[in-house]
Amino acid sequence: MTTPFTYLEPAGLADASRLARQEGAMLKAGGIDLLDEMKEGLVAPEKVVRLSALKGMDRIEVKNGKLRIGALVTLATVAAHKQVREHARILAAAAGQAATPQIRNAATVGGNLCQRPRCWYYRHEDFPCRKKGGDQCFAETGENRYHAIFAADGPCHIVHPSALGTALAALGGQILVFDGQKSRSVAVEQFFALPSVDVTRENVLQPGEIIEAVEIPSAKGKKSAYHKQRERLAADWPLAEVAVVYEVKNGAADGVRLVLGHAAPIPWRCPTAESYLSGKKIDAGAAAEAARLAMAAAAPLAQNEYKVPLFTVLIARALMAAEKGEPA
Amino acid sequence: MDLRFKLNGREQSVSIAQDRRLLWVLRGELGLVGCKYGCGEGYCGACTVIVDGAAVRACQFPAREAAGREVLTIEGLAKDGKLHPLQQAFMEHDALQCGFCTPGMILAAYSFLLNNHKPDRKAIIAAMEGNLCRCGSYVRIVAAIQAAARRMYGG
Amino acid sequence: MSEVKLKLGIPGKYEERVVTLPEGEPKPYDADSKLSVVGSRHPRLDGFAKVTGQAKYAHDIRLPDMLYAALLSCPHPHARVKSLDTSAAENMPGVKAVVAAADQHVRFAGQYVAAVAAETLEQAERACRAIKVDYEPLPFVVDLEEARQPGAPKVFDNRDSNVRAADPTERGNLAEGFAAADAVVEATYKTQVQTHACMETHGLVAHWEAPDKLKVWSSTQGTFAARDNLARRFELGAENVEVITEYMGGGFGSKLGLRDFESAAVELARKAGRPVHLMVDRKFEHLSTGNRPNSVQVMKAGCTKDGKVTAWQVDSYGTSGIGGGAGVANPSVYDFPAVRKTSADVYTNAGPGCPMRAPGHPQGIFAVESMMDELAYKIGMDPVEFRRKNNSHPIRDAEFELGMKAIGWERRNQTPGAGPGPLHRGIGVASGRWSNVGERRNSRIQVRVAIHPDGGVEVENGAQDLGTGTRTIVGLLAAEELGLPVEALTVKIGHTSYPYGPASGGSSTAPGLAPTVRKAALLARRRLFEVVAPALQAQPEQLECRDGKITVVSDPGKTMDWKRACGLLGTTPINELATRSDNFDGWQAEAAGVQFAEVEVDVETGRVRVLKVVVVQDCGTVLDRLTAESQVIGAVIQGISYALLEDRILDRTTGVMVNPNLEQYKIAGSWDMPEIEAIMYDAAIGYNNAGVNGLGEPPVTPTAAAIANAVYNAAGLRMRELPITPWRVLAADAARRGGRS
Repeated sequence: MTTPFTYLEPAGLADASRLARQEGAMLKAGGIDLLDEMKEGLVAPEKVVRLSALKGMDRIEVKNGKLRIGALVTLATVAAHKQVREHARILAAAAGQAATPQIRNAATVGGNLCQRPRCWYYRHEDFPCRKKGGDQCFAETGENRYHAIFAADGPCHIVHPSALGTALAALGGQILVFDGQKSRSVAVEQFFALPSVDVTRENVLQPGEIIEAVEIPSAKGKKSAYHKQRERLAADWPLAEVAVVYEVKNGAADGVRLVLGHAAPIPWRCPTAESYLSGKKIDAGAAAEAARLAMAAAAPLAQNEYKVPLFTVLIARALMAAEKGEPA
Repeated sequence: MDLRFKLNGREQSVSIAQDRRLLWVLRGELGLVGCKYGCGEGYCGACTVIVDGAAVRACQFPAREAAGREVLTIEGLAKDGKLHPLQQAFMEHDALQCGFCTPGMILAAYSFLLNNHKPDRKAIIAAMEGNLCRCGSYVRIVAAIQAAARRMYGG
Repeated sequence: MSEVKLKLGIPGKYEERVVTLPEGEPKPYDADSKLSVVGSRHPRLDGFAKVTGQAKYAHDIRLPDMLYAALLSCPHPHARVKSLDTSAAENMPGVKAVVAAADQHVRFAGQYVAAVAAETLEQAERACRAIKVDYEPLPFVVDLEEARQPGAPKVFDNRDSNVRAADPTERGNLAEGFAAADAVVEATYKTQVQTHACMETHGLVAHWEAPDKLKVWSSTQGTFAARDNLARRFELGAENVEVITEYMGGGFGSKLGLRDFESAAVELARKAGRPVHLMVDRKFEHLSTGNRPNSVQVMKAGCTKDGKVTAWQVDSYGTSGIGGGAGVANPSVYDFPAVRKTSADVYTNAGPGCPMRAPGHPQGIFAVESMMDELAYKIGMDPVEFRRKNNSHPIRDAEFELGMKAIGWERRNQTPGAGPGPLHRGIGVASGRWSNVGERRNSRIQVRVAIHPDGGVEVENGAQDLGTGTRTIVGLLAAEELGLPVEALTVKIGHTSYPYGPASGGSSTAPGLAPTVRKAALLARRRLFEVVAPALQAQPEQLECRDGKITVVSDPGKTMDWKRACGLLGTTPINELATRSDNFDGWQAEAAGVQFAEVEVDVETGRVRVLKVVVVQDCGTVLDRLTAESQVIGAVIQGISYALLEDRILDRTTGVMVNPNLEQYKIAGSWDMPEIEAIMYDAAIGYNNAGVNGLGEPPVTPTAAAIANAVYNAAGLRMRELPITPWRVLAADAARRGGRS
């Protein structure tokens, strides 16, 4: 059920930012997640600021070795775009495997990064969980097979749902945030925030701030892989997701970025594994050891212990696939 | 608000509350009940319609965003009383049982075939992953789409 | 009464039987019947309506002045309604009527407590939220094991406990059976709660044409059952209630009765004096409209080393929520000399179970066929050979042969789980059954065939088509009997103003209708021949009709086309009503099927992919090969969905379903579909004049078991609990390696 609301049509980005600061206003790009949330009775904005009308935010370009993707580019476009495939192939893969064709046609890059978690307690209006201002996390002792295995102190155990977030973090991407007057560039890792920072949100965006674009250093020539495993073979959220990007210098890995999705409330980097791999030739032994290190700090809940062996395998496989140059 | 758009090839104008979803405008104000409510959350695809050539889920698609655009529903697919090759193939291959998911299936396939003229089986399966059929007709749906593609584009 | 000699049985092994037929009964189909339309691959008659969007489902009915209804559900799993105040809701914009549920004791989260009718659905939904309900929450239990414990919160106050045990059954001597066994396996098998998840949710449009005259467009599996229920509920004569189901978006057993929330919509229409449209949302559908109960089957079975099962013991229990009927078909398929069985329904504060495609069977057969597999491997016998040694059904025995050949049975792993690397492939087998040749005796079923002077033919029966192809088989059978192309007929179904048709439950629609259609068409054809015979200077019995031409058999020069022949009727159409005869003694009453599944298991990620399924299925006479295969393929896909994905998950601490949607309640999609080879096994079974058995249920019964057995053959992991998810496979693998699970 949805309560009535009115649409606001911004004249430009600054206007959108101004409108979004109004009481009861929310931003909408493709509308996929916002409309879900309204249907579920989780939000009831009186005003919806339509970003889709804004000009120029649906472009993809390459400048100075950086791939820039406008926030309103759809996932379908990201998946199919030649330059994305060339400079950030794991981003194209992540976008192309997310959700369903109908959703990919409408969902945008900005919306994907800002979507709210799929935790079934959060999504169910009958559960007043912490993320909704309540005083408990129902997943902690409840049905938590799909929940986080990291950041065990909570106070909320969601996994972040953004497939692009995982890939972008591995690519070392930046998110361009417009604050109403000017744009600032935020590293993807700094963009997402743990529940311990603010349990009601998943990122650092302030009211009225809008994602304008993402910028990615070209990964052309680098090794990379994006692996995920779902329960249903398609049109399903991953149980586990792994993205890895590195360069090969003198036959050894360098600048490794290993990021896990659906493991934690944010795209989860694995610094111990990354530094272990740095300077090593990636082979089966090194990949297995890196996977073990990445999982060393895992603290699963009652029903999601399976994610530990699952991630262990997916990490090792992703590393080997990257090394061998298999398709993303 | 007054919504103007092209519906099944004809200019259409309808007065709606601006927060209405396209599905309910089509099924309600416009009486086109071929697009179905299955889950209301975009996971089943029974409400699939075509907007400017792309398959969208009408249950979540704000009607006002159809303004000035071209919407195709199952009712508009047959031309001059002649079935679209997809419709023909779905009948011949028995790619349906209860038929409730069928309009959405056909339209999802329609949008896919616009840009994919010689799809292999795997590509068809991928294109149809957003449409659920509880009767389990997928095997025949895929065969029907392949047959329709051949009829439309040869090969 | 007349006697007729029939050739019955299976190809290569036909036998002659003399059966006694009632007067006027067409000669039953047997192995020598030469059929032209029946058994062909005919596209379904309503395909055009369905591919063009013209087919009108209950959701799609639009009447002038129609109101829309919305339901208010209780969020608590167990509560008493202390007060319910609808005054605010009644005064909201657009609201025309409000009703409250009669039952003020709510026993599951999601139970309907009130309903509103308003000018728009949105207005009705908003008004529902304005209904003030004061609940007194009561202790509850949703977990099967917890509910069995002494002292568990009671679902029904008037019962001693939540456990309702059925009388134990025992045959043969179990102790002797186990003593004679060379191998004994003890194991516990578990299955989950599955919801029907019909694409079209429950719904209806109710229209009171007069204060004592009700017309309802309903998404129902039983038009006449719905009519009779409505008549009772609203104290009307059945003749004053009309139920229409032209098309429906699936039922699978969940749409057999009139639900309280459906009555509520009818009541709203009466109160408002306007038609009311109700279409429940997906969440309500999952919570309140039925499910397949779960099961725990604690088993012990023994066999000799030459493969004969000697003893079979099963203690089963399961929950159907606040309903009953959690029994399982265990043992089934095979005949064992010594069996002991106990079973119990366990009440929980969850939505009531109801029949779902072969009630009790997929869950029972999962345990039966898993156990058969375990025994076969334990004595080192080929699993098919082991089954054949314990099988007495001749059709099934022949089906094993066909199935083994089609799947390439010799490709299976000789040592389960052998081979390097994480990916393992394997093949498993299981048998299905269904014990129904339809309505053995239902003289309410009638079919009318009318032949009009202009040549038009109408075939009428009020039963509904769930998507199984009822409309189509009715047309094919009548066309066969009349000697006309199917396109020349008008088939009218799904309306209680037509002659009585059966509810579609127990796979009884085709066996109930098919013989009656034949009989009515034969009567009508005889009448026409009586009129035409003099014009062709022949006796009626010398005539035949083929391809729309009536001909004297002995003198083919004497012929008349159908239309001209009908013109001889003058102004009086032929109008024949036939009544379903009782079944007679045929050859084989029980439907048999076997399935072989080939899977690939990734033992490192726990992922199971079904690569191929071979189905060999009998249904007696195959009426339409195309739609029959569709139904079999669909059953397999539903079986895969049950085996690998579906699970209704209730939060134990709150009693609320956490996945009441199609996002987290996962049903198989396009990618989950394997290659499926559906082989319809042709058997001449007798029993009714069309030789037809039901097909809806049998093919869904063995799929999960075949997949679980294939996983074992592939990976050496015995999966005793459904659904077979990645985490269960990983846990089984860890347990095998002795690691933590």
